[in-house]
Amino acid sequence: MVDLIIFLSLLALGYGAGTWAEKRHYRSIAEREQATVTLPAVTLKSVDVPAHKIRSAHLVHGNVVISVDYFKRLLAGLRNIFGGRVKSYESLIDRARREALLRMKAMAGDATVIVNVRIETATIGRQSRRKSTACLEAVAYGTALTVER
Amino acid sequence: MKFTARLPGTNVNVSPTHPLKEFAVLAGGLLAAMVGIYLIMGLAVDLIVPRISLSLEQKLAGAFSARITDSEKLAGATRSLQALVDQLQAHCAPLPYHIHVHVLQSDAVNAAALPGGNMIVFSGLLKKMTSENELAFVLAHELGHFVHRDHLRALGRALVLMTVSTVLLGADNSINRMIGKGITLTDLSFSRHQETRADEFALKTLFCRYGNVADATTFFRSIPKEEDPWRFGHYFASHPDNRRRIAHLEEMIAEHGYPLGRPRPLPPILVIPKNPS
Repeated sequence: MVDLIIFLSLLALGYGAGTWAEKRHYRSIAEREQATVTLPAVTLKSVDVPAHKIRSAHLVHGNVVISVDYFKRLLAGLRNIFGGRVKSYESLIDRARREALLRMKAMAGDATVIVNVRIETATIGRQSRRKSTACLEAVAYGTALTVER
Repeated sequence: MKFTARLPGTNVNVSPTHPLKEFAVLAGGLLAAMVGIYLIMGLAVDLIVPRISLSLEQKLAGAFSARITDSEKLAGATRSLQALVDQLQAHCAPLPYHIHVHVLQSDAVNAAALPGGNMIVFSGLLKKMTSENELAFVLAHELGHFVHRDHLRALGRALVLMTVSTVLLGADNSINRMIGKGITLTDLSFSRHQETRADEFALKTLFCRYGNVADATTFFRSIPKEEDPWRFGHYFASHPDNRRRIAHLEEMIAEHGYPLGRPRPLPPILVIPKNPS
């Protein structure tokens, strides 16, 4: 009985806190994406600008670690049984990648464009054969170019 | 191509399904699958039980029987009950089992048939008894469960439920603990059909032993609602089935023309003083 109460409270806490944090995060992501929309981050290796016009070029990167909440983990566990799309983790990856891109843009400051952008994802904090909460890390990196007008 | 800075209108990377809806669908599906497995395994138990030999049952029950500890204080009552059961068995209810009677100190007004020929009688039941015939009916009812091997069916189902809950919730979960307690403390639950068959058997045995069916239905009538601590016991008047069971017994008595007769008093050793509380 005690197990069940603990389980249900964790579930409710996971759902409540997880949903609240996610909503807040998405609001912040949307605002910052709007604010940095004029700084393009592209996967092209270079831009068609003469070399002497490029004032500076340097590596910029942004990374973020986001944790899974209890509710999402349970939902993904249930998905492990039936198969199919793990929808509960989709928003997690989406948030992590967009946040990493935003942090990379913040690092670029007043650059004109970020080229050769790559995003990588990794899980951290997961020990093998032990039940521990996995965290998701996303890192975005690229080359920030400042072009003379 | 001209570059225009704008954000994508929609997010295609996140499914719009509400997480709670997904949870309900998945958890419901899992529960339905487990219930399905439980029902199928239950049917399998019913098929297997008639094929389990007595020696195999003894072996399976070996560890189980050792755990039952008889109360020293009730040794006299145990001997007396054993004698009563032996008499019933010898004359009227030939069973391939040797039945061991165990009296346990407990307020539960109940008795139980356990594998390996172990019959548990709670001292709370003895307190309620008014005559030997009434007691014999209850004992014969339990013997009826042994005849039809209902105890193995119930145990098999409990085992299936434990297996399913272990798969689902891990080894140490509340369902397993509940069943673990349930097996030793209260009777295993039998189906309505199983109870009726055991009642019929008990009535025939009672007539065979005493030549009358005095007090056959007394016990069902005598237990008031508030004294059913488990709410699942199979003798209690509060049980919705019991009025039907009394009616069925009376029907059978009329049909076979069993005389009602006079009940015999209880042997003095089985008269347990009622608690003042």
